[in-house]
Amino acid sequence: MATATLTGNIGKITQVIGSTFDAEFLEDQLPAIYNAVKINSNHKGVKINLTGEVQQQLGGGRVRCVALGSTDGLIRGQDVVDTGAPLSVPVGEATLGRVFNLLGEPIDDRGPVNATEYWPIHRAAPAVADLSTSTELFETGIKVIDLLTPFVRGGKAGLFGGAGLGKTVILQELIARVASSHGGYSVFAGVGERTREGTDLWIEMQEAEIGQTGRKVIEQTCMVFGQMNEPPGARLRVALSALTMAEYFRDATGKDTLMFVDNIFRFSQAGSEVSALLGRMPSAVGYQPTLATEMGALQERIASTNKGAITSVQAVYVPADDPTDPAPATAFGQLDAFLYLERSISEKGIYPAVDPLASSSRILDPNYVGEHHYRVARRVQGTLQRYRELQDIIAILGVDELSEGDKQVVHRARRIERFLSQPFLVAEVFTGKPGEITKLGDTIRSFEEICDGKWDHLPEEAFLYVGSIEQAEEQAKQMAKGK
Amino acid sequence: MAKARALDKRRKSIRNIRKITRTMELIATARFKKAMDRATAATAYTSRITRVVADLAKSGLEVSHPLLETHAETKNAVLLVLTANRGLCGGYNGSVIRAAVARLTELQSTGAAVRLEVSGKRGISAFKFRRFSIDENFRDEEGNPIYVFEDQPRFADVEQIANRYATAYIAGKLDRLDVAYTRFISSSKQVAVVETLLPLGSLAEVEPGEPPGVVAGDSMYEFLPSAASILQEVVPASFKAKLFKCFLDAAVSEQIARMVAMKSATENASEMIKDLSMTYNRARQSQITGEIMEIIGGVEALKGK
Repeated sequence: MATATLTGNIGKITQVIGSTFDAEFLEDQLPAIYNAVKINSNHKGVKINLTGEVQQQLGGGRVRCVALGSTDGLIRGQDVVDTGAPLSVPVGEATLGRVFNLLGEPIDDRGPVNATEYWPIHRAAPAVADLSTSTELFETGIKVIDLLTPFVRGGKAGLFGGAGLGKTVILQELIARVASSHGGYSVFAGVGERTREGTDLWIEMQEAEIGQTGRKVIEQTCMVFGQMNEPPGARLRVALSALTMAEYFRDATGKDTLMFVDNIFRFSQAGSEVSALLGRMPSAVGYQPTLATEMGALQERIASTNKGAITSVQAVYVPADDPTDPAPATAFGQLDAFLYLERSISEKGIYPAVDPLASSSRILDPNYVGEHHYRVARRVQGTLQRYRELQDIIAILGVDELSEGDKQVVHRARRIERFLSQPFLVAEVFTGKPGEITKLGDTIRSFEEICDGKWDHLPEEAFLYVGSIEQAEEQAKQMAKGK
Repeated sequence: MAKARALDKRRKSIRNIRKITRTMELIATARFKKAMDRATAATAYTSRITRVVADLAKSGLEVSHPLLETHAETKNAVLLVLTANRGLCGGYNGSVIRAAVARLTELQSTGAAVRLEVSGKRGISAFKFRRFSIDENFRDEEGNPIYVFEDQPRFADVEQIANRYATAYIAGKLDRLDVAYTRFISSSKQVAVVETLLPLGSLAEVEPGEPPGVVAGDSMYEFLPSAASILQEVVPASFKAKLFKCFLDAAVSEQIARMVAMKSATENASEMIKDLSMTYNRARQSQITGEIMEIIGGVEALKGK
């Protein structure tokens, strides 16, 4: 290799392996780890404009980089320019209403972004002393969430679920409910999911209005996408790009910021792909040995500080419906509230398919939500727990063998199970029912009355897809009329 | 391994349940035979006595007996409910109780004072749960059920109850007696019914399920000393026999219900064990495969170094 041609911060590609490449620099001019390097060439008519990120220094002036875009057409010997700093993305008000890729380049065909500030995507997490520990309940109007897994304002919530259980639908529903009534800014990160879903969401946000102000949701939102079609390096870093934008809103404007991530599992998955390409030894279930570190570095930055709050909702794919898989398991520990979506519930046609027993929240505690709310939530869970215990017996011996008390438990549990469903704003086309926003007070009262046996006389179907309990009564009347 | 272990635990508990249900099935089968023999024997007696009474009625006599007379007003009624002492017999208790509750509310709505008498622990607890007060539950001072009717109700015991009802009825303290029990029709069909035993109604009434031709035979009897004096004996005897038959039917039906319920329970359990075993084996196998792959992957990765 002709080292003589190397000058200053310009190096040469020495090797290309999938979506990683090695480059050679002058021994004393090596780019630092996480520095962005750029390749800009037009070789034989193939235009290449690629950004990479330095991951390893191999010795002998060589560094190994992860490509943040396609490596197609890359050849050895091409010039690599060290930018001398990590990748930076535009931040601030100029980013609102725009759609970006992970490099901070607009991809919505609306001209350049007039940002005055650019922040590097690799940043330190807030210091211990700066963190705020808010425990205020964040009302969503979704019964099962408000009652059993109350979200925390300024906290993190996760939606865990296997393929096709409705994670994205719940996330979009939350955006529709929360972002449209929210005063602050929202940031959406599309990580390794379908591009189509991103486009749908973008169009939807352009149509939806914030409250009665006449302004569109998109005006308060910025979106960053690195979807399935992108190479692993892009999917690995897109969450950081989005997070950096959210951090700016938190630190510089002090407004409450919402951050939505769909899907955090893809971040781990991309990390695993990159790890394999970098030649690290795989760890449990083939994941990267640095799985927990990567996840920790990301999650610790999604935090609320004294300056402002980031409330985040993250979808987490659960491979093969196995929550003990290392990727969802590491994400799990980081969250204040988590919803676990269960296949057996979605098979019953109950959406959202939240498992009321596997899901939980840090603030479901009488000190935070109040004695009454806590008691009702525990009663609901107790009833459903008992029903689940009895299920084997029912399957073997039949309902008739149960004691009278247990029969009543089963009777109410089946109603509660159905009452946990709710029509969604974004699912109106599927259910044919307008979305229901149920107030927390109504939710608690409705469930308490079911537990007390006040509505034992209504048929089970009446409890499906309604808001408060009065609507169930109304639905029962309609059903009786229909017969 | 967490999932596989949980599956194995569940499978073990279902195996235990299956052991119980299979045993119960065998016991029920044995008891059913005994109960069946007694019931058939009693059926012969009751149908014969009914025939005799029918013949009596046909002999052109003025048939009158206090047990046959309907009281003008139903003020005091008794509802006797025959349930099992044990569960694990499918819908047996449930359907008798359902039928009884329906009749009970119906009687109460007419304004009659209804005494609720329940035999069998299952029925007692069911009525207690529904907050009905039970006036008689056939227990001694120690709280044990005295008439352990079970699969072999004794005639002496039943006779004692029958006498109590008959005396009360004749004295006018009782205006109506209903019995809720499971009638045995055939070994594949039993129905929960509520039957009115007092007033006894028409004597000539044909037993349900009895071929009519048998009863229609002309009287070939001579009644000595007189038809009337025989009637005095036969009417209470017929009432007792009818009541006894209720108990016998209930006992047979219980055993059949248990046999059928336990048979299907055992089958269900076997099915579930099969499914669980399959899931368990798959979970275990994938666990092993995963671990082997990890080890091989690790070895390969180390080789490259």
